[in-house]
Amino acid sequence: MAKEIGADRLGDFYKDGGKVRKRREWRGLRDTMYDYSRWLVIMGTLAKFVMKPRNVKAMFRYRWMANYLAVPMMVDRHTQGLRGEYLRMCHTEQDLIIDDVAKLLDNLFRGDRRIGNDREFSKKVVLVDENEMTAVMMGFPTLKGLSRETPSTYVSVLLNQHAAEHYIDLAQQFGLAGDVCPMPEAELGVSIDDDAPVLGACAIQCNTTCDGSLLGNGVISRRLEQEDGIPVFQLAAPLRHREDDVQEYAAQEIRNAIAFIEKHTGEKWDWKHYFECARRVNVATECRQEWLEMNRTPYPQVFGSNLALYTETNYMAICGKIPEFEKADRKLTELARQAFAKKKMAAKEYRHRAIIWGVQSHYYMDFLVWLLNCWGIVPLTDMLSMVSTRRIAEEDTPENREQAIYDMAWLTENMIMRNRTHGGYRVLLDELWEFTQQFNADMVILWEHMSCKALDGMHGLFEDRARELGINLVWVSHDLFDPRIISRQGVRDQINNYMRSVMREEPLDPSLEVLHDEESW
Amino acid sequence: MKDLKHLYYFENLLQEANNELIRQAQEEGKVCVAYTCENTPEPLLNLPGAFSVRLRAPRTGSVDIATYYLTSFLCEYSRALLERAIEGGFNFADCVITPDGCSMMNRCIENMELLKTMGQGKEHFFFEYMEIPMKGDENGLNLYVLQCRNHILKPLAEHYGIDVSDAAIRQAVAQHNRVCELLRAIGEYRKGDRPAITGYEFHVLTLASYACPKHLIIDKLEETLEELKTREPLDSGAFRARVVLVGSEVDDLDFIKLVEDSGAFVCADRFCYGSLPGRNPIVLNDEEDALTQICRQYQQRGQCPRYMDTPKMNARREYVAALAKEYGADGIIYDQMKFCDPWAYEKMLGAHILREEFGYPVLAVDRPYAIASSGQMRTRVQAFVESIEIKKLQGGVQNG
Repeated sequence: MAKEIGADRLGDFYKDGGKVRKRREWRGLRDTMYDYSRWLVIMGTLAKFVMKPRNVKAMFRYRWMANYLAVPMMVDRHTQGLRGEYLRMCHTEQDLIIDDVAKLLDNLFRGDRRIGNDREFSKKVVLVDENEMTAVMMGFPTLKGLSRETPSTYVSVLLNQHAAEHYIDLAQQFGLAGDVCPMPEAELGVSIDDDAPVLGACAIQCNTTCDGSLLGNGVISRRLEQEDGIPVFQLAAPLRHREDDVQEYAAQEIRNAIAFIEKHTGEKWDWKHYFECARRVNVATECRQEWLEMNRTPYPQVFGSNLALYTETNYMAICGKIPEFEKADRKLTELARQAFAKKKMAAKEYRHRAIIWGVQSHYYMDFLVWLLNCWGIVPLTDMLSMVSTRRIAEEDTPENREQAIYDMAWLTENMIMRNRTHGGYRVLLDELWEFTQQFNADMVILWEHMSCKALDGMHGLFEDRARELGINLVWVSHDLFDPRIISRQGVRDQINNYMRSVMREEPLDPSLEVLHDEESW
Repeated sequence: MKDLKHLYYFENLLQEANNELIRQAQEEGKVCVAYTCENTPEPLLNLPGAFSVRLRAPRTGSVDIATYYLTSFLCEYSRALLERAIEGGFNFADCVITPDGCSMMNRCIENMELLKTMGQGKEHFFFEYMEIPMKGDENGLNLYVLQCRNHILKPLAEHYGIDVSDAAIRQAVAQHNRVCELLRAIGEYRKGDRPAITGYEFHVLTLASYACPKHLIIDKLEETLEELKTREPLDSGAFRARVVLVGSEVDDLDFIKLVEDSGAFVCADRFCYGSLPGRNPIVLNDEEDALTQICRQYQQRGQCPRYMDTPKMNARREYVAALAKEYGADGIIYDQMKFCDPWAYEKMLGAHILREEFGYPVLAVDRPYAIASSGQMRTRVQAFVESIEIKKLQGGVQNG
């Protein structure tokens, strides 16, 4: 039990086969009290949520709701070994995300025809995809853009690694091939199982990340339109998003989507609100850029899962619409500046500086924490955090109103993941090596999400280039939502084997090398 | 039934990606435009002075090197093409034009480019990638036109001096239509109880129209059409069931042969490399420019599952049902190339809808690129044929 970073053997906290760990970590009086107070805040958020009868009803109606019992455990997994500013950064963002998801769930069940059935509220709801840039909702302050897939599949797998298995199996029983990406597959399974809340005036779907996502939406929209009577607009974002000659098409899609929402909700686009959201998008971009700038130095501050999970949420799902996230952006930046000024480190030793590329294993999002604690590999940044850094128009002028359409189109085209997996090899392959140089990285951890065809299709060229440049390239295979294909230990073993056999190194914390967490949340 | 006069000739042509007609056309001074996806408007690749060849990799063996580059999770079509390109089998092409039709095809061509597999010794060689619409609306049409202009017409004119004027496009459409009309007329002989041409024979002719310069096969297609007028049709019991084959890329002659050897006559071919709707003539008027009209017709008729708007999605299944009715099919086979994402979903949903809403027996299968004489596939088709026969015996009443 120690106050100092890296003094504990973190693997000793795990119980063989258990869902939770043996005990909480002692981080010194001040950090432990802080961590405990945040734990109480999380429990308060959950208690507030459960106090509403409709939410209790939803616990029994929707299979995936059981995963939310694991919320405190998820936060604990991400705070392992953290102290001082790093612990505060993690709680600042995770606690806010939890609060945001709790509100999302509460709103979904309020409008859900099976649960709250608040019809007036439902008329103000626009359903959006899980992996969709929500820029088209920035000018509708009176509407709620709600994603059903975010709580049912995306967050569920973060909470419980086994959460999607039932839905994956269901989609395959329905006739879907087993080699498609398990994320749209699981979302489809939820729809087939009729296990998603039914509400909303209309829905905006998008060809988000891949062919699978696009096609899965086709099945979901059929249920929405034909059974639930919810009209659907399919927003087609161009794939070759770096090309000038697709931007007009993308902009027109945004205009059409806005017109569709106005038609089905009766609401009018509010430019004042849009530009306020745009200003917050710019704040988030500036903060993210500052963090990345620090990460190029020997003293990175906002990195690993602190960077990845927050960016995923803030960039796409929030997209400037919620003021609390601006406060969090500023607070995180302040904490990062403090730690940077003191040349603080999040582990006792930084051995390798790594760029994390590809699509990370969703059922093992705290892998980046493990990477740092076990092997001293610093995950400086990850592919999903390398999103648009373009400043968008934030002042309400006639010219900017036209520019804003193109800005929304640009953001939509540059959704997380698709901005790298589509758009030609330059954004996926060439820019990786540019980032490697910029961040002074000596290692690339390349997630091989095995059923992501866009990534698989560059496999050989990644290897060829890494060899040419003398970069240590470590492949880490996984199946995104399905730990039955490659378990968490299977993921860790790929690193362990590389570090021992190729790098000839011993772990910083040997207790973390093998963990029996197959049954864990 | 007597063999078609030119069948053996066409079969031989299809044994090679770089067939003798391609070499002949290049000796005539024409530019060979290679492409891979049905969403690339063919007439624009066949402007005077150019001819199109849709890439395929006949007689594919090992795809080991391509599997290293693309992994085993990409469809075998994309891997077979890359392997063939690495082997130097596509060096005849003078350029490659490809849309981002699907991720796998896109990555396949990108690997071809980055590995410098093609273009050696060809000063003007180029790769072009284009965005194509995902919806059947006006915005999508505008994109289609712009992309064809920027990524097909402009590079062809700049690199090879091809005439891309409206008149030249109309001339190319006329030639394209001649081939389409001939194939559609030949395809009509698949209708009725006693068809005069088998699905396999028709597939050979159709495939040749994708893989060979069109102007060099017109005479033989004309002769074949004449021959069919007097050809003794098949006996009415020659096949046990009539099926529509629906699915993705099928350029493997053995697949249709296997299906027909198993007792199912392929009466309609709704797949990439098929004639429905790939060989629909393009009808032009004089009021609007030819490029826009071509793009509109490609967009409207397109059956690719990447079209994501509800009207196009519904129309895909209605089209299959309409074909089944028109060609008198007893059942439908949905096929999917293993690891193909778009068709994995389309096959799943299409099979359910055609079965439950349109009442057709449906077999849904996935298959490798080169199927050879797969016993598993044969068994599945045979079982499907038997199930159709049993249903017929029961008067269409489903058991259980």
